[in-house]
Amino acid sequence: MQTNDSLSAIEKTMRRTSAAREGFLGKDDRSLAAILQADDDAVRRHGLTHAQIARRLLDLRRAGWEGQGEPVALAPHFEVSVDAARGALPCPFGDQGTIAKVNTTVRDLARGRQITFSDLNIHMIEAHGFYEGRGAPFRLDPEQLMDTLAIGERDRE
Amino acid sequence: MPEAVLPKAKLYINDRPPLETPAGQSLLAALKEQGIFVPSACGGHGVCGLCRVKVLAGAAPLTAREEALLSEADRLAGMRLACQVPMEGELRIGIPKDFFNARDYKAEVVALRDLTPDIRAITLQLHSPPAIDFKAGQYIQVRIPPYAQSRRTLYRAYSIASPPSSRGRLELEVRQVLNGVGTTYLCQHLALNASVVFNGPYGEFYLRESSRPVILIAGGSGMAPMKSILDDMQARKIRRNVRYFFGARSRRNLFLVPEMQVLEQNLPDFRFIPALSKPLPEDCWTGETGLITAVLDRHLANPYHGEAYLCGSPAMIQACIKILQCKGVAEDSIFYDAFA
Repeated sequence: MQTNDSLSAIEKTMRRTSAAREGFLGKDDRSLAAILQADDDAVRRHGLTHAQIARRLLDLRRAGWEGQGEPVALAPHFEVSVDAARGALPCPFGDQGTIAKVNTTVRDLARGRQITFSDLNIHMIEAHGFYEGRGAPFRLDPEQLMDTLAIGERDRE
Repeated sequence: MPEAVLPKAKLYINDRPPLETPAGQSLLAALKEQGIFVPSACGGHGVCGLCRVKVLAGAAPLTAREEALLSEADRLAGMRLACQVPMEGELRIGIPKDFFNARDYKAEVVALRDLTPDIRAITLQLHSPPAIDFKAGQYIQVRIPPYAQSRRTLYRAYSIASPPSSRGRLELEVRQVLNGVGTTYLCQHLALNASVVFNGPYGEFYLRESSRPVILIAGGSGMAPMKSILDDMQARKIRRNVRYFFGARSRRNLFLVPEMQVLEQNLPDFRFIPALSKPLPEDCWTGETGLITAVLDRHLANPYHGEAYLCGSPAMIQACIKILQCKGVAEDSIFYDAFA
C-alpha cells in the first residue's frame, strides 16, 4: 500500500518523465490517488479484485502468444493476437526491472469490439491497481475492460 | 578577474590513457562528448535502462533509478547506467570495443515507400559523415525529435536493411506499432527531404564467418537485417547453402518478393520460402501455409548441421528455437534479434 506522500511523488515522476505526450495519466486532472480510488471502487462493485483481472489478461496473453504474432481464435467468440516491439519500459511505480513492450489485442468478434493491453498494463493492474489516467494511450477503463473481456463470475474464484 | 577553474574528473576506459572531462556531468554525457556512443533509448533520463556500462572503480553509490532498473545479476557484474553515474574524481570503466565504432550521423530522407499496410521503407542519404561502416545485420539508434505524440527527444533502434557496400545510403524497414512513439513518427510524420540524426552501428546480430549452411527465419520488419545479410552475401560473393523462411499473415503482408527472387538467381544455393498463415481466397496462394514453425519443421533436415539466424517477435523466436534444438542445432549456432 502506497502512502499519499509516495503517491504524490510517483505522480510527479509520471507527469515529468513520461516520453509519450499523454504519458500514463493522459489528460486526467484527477490526482493519482483519486484515479486509483475510482478504479478500485469500479472493480469492487463487480465483486472482483485487481489480481483476478490481471490473471484474466495474462491468460489471454498466454493464449495469444501461441499465435507467434498471428491471431488465435478463442472460445466463445474472441480472437487474440500478441505483438511485440523493440525495447522495454520501467514500471512508473519504481518496481524492479523493466517490462518488454508486448501488446495483446483481444477482438470480440460477436460484438465488434476490441481492446489492447500491454504487459506493463498487466503488471500495473496486478501490483498497483493502476489502469492509467483518462486520455492515456493505454488507459484501460475497468468497466469497459470487464465488459469487453467478459470478466465476471468465473473469474472471481 | 582570474577565470574560474572548473573541476575536472578523470575517465579511464578499458586500457586507454585517461581522459579529462568536466566534473558533474553524467558518464553518458562525458562519453558522448568524447565521441563514444552508448545505446540509450530515453536520451539519458534514467527511464529505459539501456545505457549499461561496466564500472570498475570510482563510481558514486547506485541511484534509486538504477536500483529499479538494474537486475541483481547486472549489479553483481558491476554494471551501471551511464546516465546515472556522475563524473567525479577518477572513474574506471570497461566498454565493448564495438562502442568505439559508433558515431553520430546526419542524413536526409531521400525515399519513402510503403512495403505493406504497416511497414515503411525509409532511405537515408548520409551527409555528415558521408559514409558508415557496419556489419550486415547490425542496427542504428534513430533520434526521434519532440512531436505531437512525444514531448522530448528519444532514440529508437532499427535494423539496417541495406548492405554494408552501400556506405552512403541506408535503408530502414519500420513497422508501425500501436501507440509507438518512434514508429509513429517514422511511419506517419517523417517527410521526404527531412533531416534525420542517428548513431551506430550496434549489435551482435550478423552472419558469422564459416562455410556451414544457413537458416534465416523472420517475420514482419525482421526482414530488414536478413535483407542486409543476403545483399552482403551477394556483394561479397559468399557461397553458402541458405534457406530463408519468412512468415506473413496474407499476401498483403508479404513484401520484397521480387528482390528475393533476384537473389535466388544470383546466389548459387539460396532459396526463399515465404509462408502465409492465413492466405485470403483472392491471394490465390500456392506456396507454403501455416505458422513459420510448422513450415520450418517440414523443411529442415534432422539433424541439421548449420547456423540459424532469427529476427522477429519473441513468440516466433521462442517457438522456432525449440524446433531448431529438436533438429540438433547447437545453442551456440543460433543467433537471434528479438524485438523485445
